[in-house]
Amino acid sequence: MKIIFQTEKINVEETLENFTSQNDNSGAVISFLGKVRPSNNKKKIKSMDIEIYEEMALYQTKIAINNLLKKFQIHDYLIMHRYGNLKPGEIIIFVIVASEHRKEGFIFIQDILLYFKKKITFWKKENYAQYSRWLNSQN
Amino acid sequence: MKILYFAKIKEIIGKNEDSINIDEQTTVEDIVEKLKLIDESYKLAFKDLKNVKCSVNCNYINSFQTKVKNNDELAFFPPVTGG
Repeated sequence: MKIIFQTEKINVEETLENFTSQNDNSGAVISFLGKVRPSNNKKKIKSMDIEIYEEMALYQTKIAINNLLKKFQIHDYLIMHRYGNLKPGEIIIFVIVASEHRKEGFIFIQDILLYFKKKITFWKKENYAQYSRWLNSQN
Repeated sequence: MKILYFAKIKEIIGKNEDSINIDEQTTVEDIVEKLKLIDESYKLAFKDLKNVKCSVNCNYINSFQTKVKNNDELAFFPPVTGG
């Protein structure tokens, strides 16, 4: 059960393999990854800067997780979110969850992603060829 | 009191944080008004408070009427866009 915020690239294969092997007793292991898109509204994205208020992000993620764990039978989870400068195609967020059955895992992932969109203190700025723009919360 | 700024607000003000002394019974709104007196960049950053979120010691506050203390950590930032 881990929450990791990092600047380094996420090694999906290795992380998923390790997580799965650590959860031999779970019937379902579900993962989601979100990437930097190559363009937004037809404007080519050169890179994305992601800023974090780390202390609050960690604190709020733990609150969110504790709320979700009261509702769902989850065996294990791993949440990784990057910050710093990312290029198109690079992974921003990687979430894995292990549970007895798939339903809880899917809902857990969906709900934790909603928390990240609404509450967890990360901000994205897209850098285009000529200018940069902070994304609004509805993007 | 330590005041942190993030994202667009940090960019407009041109720094990550400030440190100020406050009296008892000071509200977040009082602090915003005090900060706006520093210079035009602060005025601009806090012009539209609908787009300014605030936390005290990593907890979101629901109202700028919330009272704060000198040893609190206050943060101002735009709505989040993580995930």
